[in-house]
Amino acid sequence: MIQLRNVSKTYAPNYRALADISFSVDKGEVVFLAGPSGAGKTTLLKLLFREEEPNAGQVLVDGIDVTQLRSRGVAQLRRKIGLVFQEFKLLSQLTVLDNVALAAEVIGVSKAQSRMRAHQLLRDLGLKERSGAKPAELSAGEQQRVSIARAVINDPMLLLADEPTGNLDADIADETMRLFLKIRDHGATLIVASHDFGIINRYGTRILSLERGALVDDLCRTGGEDRRP
Amino acid sequence: MKVSLIGFVLRRVRQSLWRLLWTHVLTSGTMAMTLFVFGAFILVQANLDHLLKGWGDQLQIIAYLKKDVSTEAVQRLISRVQSFPEVERVSHTGQEQAWRDFQTALGAQSSLLDGLPRDLLPASIEVQIKSAHRDSPVVEQLAQRLKDEAEIASVEYPQEWVERLALIVLAVRWAKWIVGGVLFLATFFIVGSTAKLAVLARQDEVALMQIMGASEALVQAPFVVEGMILGLSGAAISVGALWGVFLILRRQLSALGGVFLWTGDLQFIDPAAGLLIVAIGWLLGAAGSLFSLRSFIRTWKPLRGAA
Repeated sequence: MIQLRNVSKTYAPNYRALADISFSVDKGEVVFLAGPSGAGKTTLLKLLFREEEPNAGQVLVDGIDVTQLRSRGVAQLRRKIGLVFQEFKLLSQLTVLDNVALAAEVIGVSKAQSRMRAHQLLRDLGLKERSGAKPAELSAGEQQRVSIARAVINDPMLLLADEPTGNLDADIADETMRLFLKIRDHGATLIVASHDFGIINRYGTRILSLERGALVDDLCRTGGEDRRP
Repeated sequence: MKVSLIGFVLRRVRQSLWRLLWTHVLTSGTMAMTLFVFGAFILVQANLDHLLKGWGDQLQIIAYLKKDVSTEAVQRLISRVQSFPEVERVSHTGQEQAWRDFQTALGAQSSLLDGLPRDLLPASIEVQIKSAHRDSPVVEQLAQRLKDEAEIASVEYPQEWVERLALIVLAVRWAKWIVGGVLFLATFFIVGSTAKLAVLARQDEVALMQIMGASEALVQAPFVVEGMILGLSGAAISVGALWGVFLILRRQLSALGGVFLWTGDLQFIDPAAGLLIVAIGWLLGAAGSLFSLRSFIRTWKPLRGAA
């Protein structure tokens, strides 16, 4: 599903964000990118949805080398990927319903169809009553659920979450993670960048540890046992 | 682009026009001023062309006759000249008629002529030239041939004035494109800057659309449509302003009567010129937005953040 081969990324003038990273992720896996701030987690996510390009190496998503994609190909790639951010990135002038429907509308789904899908998702996430509200009227947990609804409205094959629980208290963070696992159960691959080791320890079945741009550990947890591929 | 996306684009355009209302009003006003200047050149050129055509229609060579030419000789001369291929019509003004015309022209001051002999003014023939032969060399050659006739003392023709006016028309025609071109270039960049401001005012939305997989065309379309609307509204304002100025000038000029050898009513720009102004406005708006956004949006990384 995802393969990184000897990927390096350096920002000008001379900041090494990632150095010679290689790993692969299978379809339906839940992978945590663990590490402190500045470890390279966000850069790695950006490489996957082609917000950034590596200086060296290959990034393959669903068999396609995303570094070779042109503008149209990048748009097509992003339609298969859902994104969740720490700071939610909801549009303040739109209602909750319109924020969710927007993701479907921009890829050509009709307004009526987009709103119908958005309604259904908001109902499933317990936000039916809040669909007419503006994001500022919601709690942090509610805003994160709205951003998750937006990320999954187009049934993505890959869900990328960048510190999704960073602005949430412990109970809401657990609720959010359980929601992610439900989404995984529908067949999506999930990559979560986090420095919250409580969350990582509770939900992590595979943990890629990054430090100063280098992949320092790749840990798989199955049946209470830790192993390294 | 899918039909469902057209509605999406139009909703974005409406929101953006409202959000940056004053910026858009100023840009449209700048566009209107530019197109007004261009339109004013077209208006001047159209009227000078009209004036030139009027003068051309009246272009004639006046050949003054010697004093002692007999009536039969004049008739033979008229027949000869009438047979020239360049000549449309020949008319004769005798000495008595010339005197009466002069008196009429002097009006209240005609008493100045009292005591002068009535055969003071020479008889003449007026030679009208066919429109296809009104070029300078042809007129000069014809005038020379008339001079060579034994009955003719001298010839006069206003060719020099017509040529000067033709030169002015040519200068206006070039000035229209040179001045217009400079103004269009400036407007092109102003429209581009407005488009960038519109993107920055909606950067969160644009960034989200990009990361959700919106095509480049869909991201740019609302801003290009905005540019078209600004161009079309600027063109409409400029044509309206031209019409207002035209009405004022026409009233002023009709009060002046036949001064400056005005040969007819003031002309407004023709429909084709009006369409040209609208088309330029539309094109400037669309191209200005598209050109500035193509590189701006492609190189823009809205999701900058910690690594």
